[in-house]
Amino acid sequence: MSALLDPLRAALKAGATEGWLPAALGYGFVVNAIVCALLLGPVLGGIGTMVVTKRLAFFAQAIGQASITGVALGLLLGEPAARPWVSLFAFCLLFALALNFTRHRTQMAPDTVIAVFLSLSLAAGACLLPALANRADAHLIEAILFGSILTVGDAEIALLLVIGLVAAAVAVRWFNPMLLASFNPALARARGVRVVLLDYVFVLLLTLVTVAAVKIVGAILVEALLIIPAAAARNLSRSLRSFVGWSVGLCTLSCVTGIVAPLALDVRVPSGAAIVLVAAVGFGLSVAWRSLRRET
Amino acid sequence: MTAELPRGPAIRCDELSLHLGGARLLECVSLHVAPGTLHCLVGPNGAGKTSLLRCLLGQAPHTGRITLAWPAAPGAVGYVPQTLDFDRTLPVTVEDFLTLTTQAAPAFAGVRAASRPAIDAALAAVGMGARRRSLLGRLSGGELKRVLLAQALTPRPALLVLDEPMNHLDAPAVAHATALLRELRAAGTTLLCCLHDLAQVRALADAVTGLHAGRVVFSGPPDAVLTPDNLLRTYAGEVRT
Repeated sequence: MSALLDPLRAALKAGATEGWLPAALGYGFVVNAIVCALLLGPVLGGIGTMVVTKRLAFFAQAIGQASITGVALGLLLGEPAARPWVSLFAFCLLFALALNFTRHRTQMAPDTVIAVFLSLSLAAGACLLPALANRADAHLIEAILFGSILTVGDAEIALLLVIGLVAAAVAVRWFNPMLLASFNPALARARGVRVVLLDYVFVLLLTLVTVAAVKIVGAILVEALLIIPAAAARNLSRSLRSFVGWSVGLCTLSCVTGIVAPLALDVRVPSGAAIVLVAAVGFGLSVAWRSLRRET
Repeated sequence: MTAELPRGPAIRCDELSLHLGGARLLECVSLHVAPGTLHCLVGPNGAGKTSLLRCLLGQAPHTGRITLAWPAAPGAVGYVPQTLDFDRTLPVTVEDFLTLTTQAAPAFAGVRAASRPAIDAALAAVGMGARRRSLLGRLSGGELKRVLLAQALTPRPALLVLDEPMNHLDAPAVAHATALLRELRAAGTTLLCCLHDLAQVRALADAVTGLHAGRVVFSGPPDAVLTPDNLLRTYAGEVRT
């Protein structure tokens, strides 16, 4: 990854030194953050449209908050504090599989099952956190909860790139049957779609993307970045194409602006919070535009 | 529209039973549908019509045997469900929806040139060509039903299973759908259709089966079996002596 990013960082630094690029781009960590935003925005924006369509917003929130427990487990098991990836991904994937299995096997409303799992995971995380008191500082906890995009390194960028490519491959291959199944599972089955299998594929993909985004957006706010741009895009769109396009565009713009604006304004706020606030402004504008369009 | 279509299969159900969650939805249902005919299922709500269709589509864990006897290689099976369950504020157009079922490339990338003729023909067949850019959530119940019928026409089905296709349709739309179903039958498609309107059954069906509480009450040509006694037994569960 360094072989790809080092020349980019060097070129941007040269531009910043010579004064024809903003001075912030002279710092490697800023370039890393922007590259992350450019990778994360399209992935979250694209998947967000399916999350909204399949009404899985609450599910995404549960996965995001399960990552707190995953990180706590990783620290207890001795993984590096900055990258407790094995425990984080393993716990969240198992959590998602168990949740989806229970959702399919019970007659209860999906949000009831999700609420039970969400509470369970938060309770487990709360029990583990005191044991971490001497292993993790307040900054680490804040980074988990609200994101810390300015500390991402090449490893995180490589991880995002791989997950982004997987997400793109899944979208190209299975977008149509997944969407059809969300409209009418029986119709999709009649057309040969393996509805339950595809549901698991989507849930696993959503989990991978959500967990990969926790470092940048934070466990508390990651679900907001899945939902808000897609919700805004829904207000602005009159076709599936524009829905996905707007969602990807708004999410990417929110990520980049949420990183660059605090730096440019010299405001110290968590990256996740800034990104979500920008996305929320976009949503507000989309609501206003929709209201105006109705009146004219 | 009717050229070079695959011929539909004969359908045979023997001793079909479906029990779900302690409820007996179908009990020893036997049925024969001749190839290239339109066979209607009638009966009150909860009689087992949709359950029978779901068994036929391989979507319900039944006992008994279902045989599809294809005259040659199996053709496409089309299905028209009762309705769609979706958020009506979603920006999905009629064309987007048909694209989902017509091409492998993701619908958000647009309609491929190769898919467009099939979509155009399907929309024209149900009289919805002018509404292709309309949002699915803005359609009336009848228009949505016509879109569901259109999706079942891509690819052209050799077997078409329809669950109450005339619901919510106004009189011109019923006439349009009736003509379309007749046209498909004339082309050799086998059609199995749940209907509530007995006048439509008499006008359309080659054969009709009445169900009550998951059991077959009668089966045969409409003129022979749609008798007051049979209808009373089917809809009221009574036997007139």
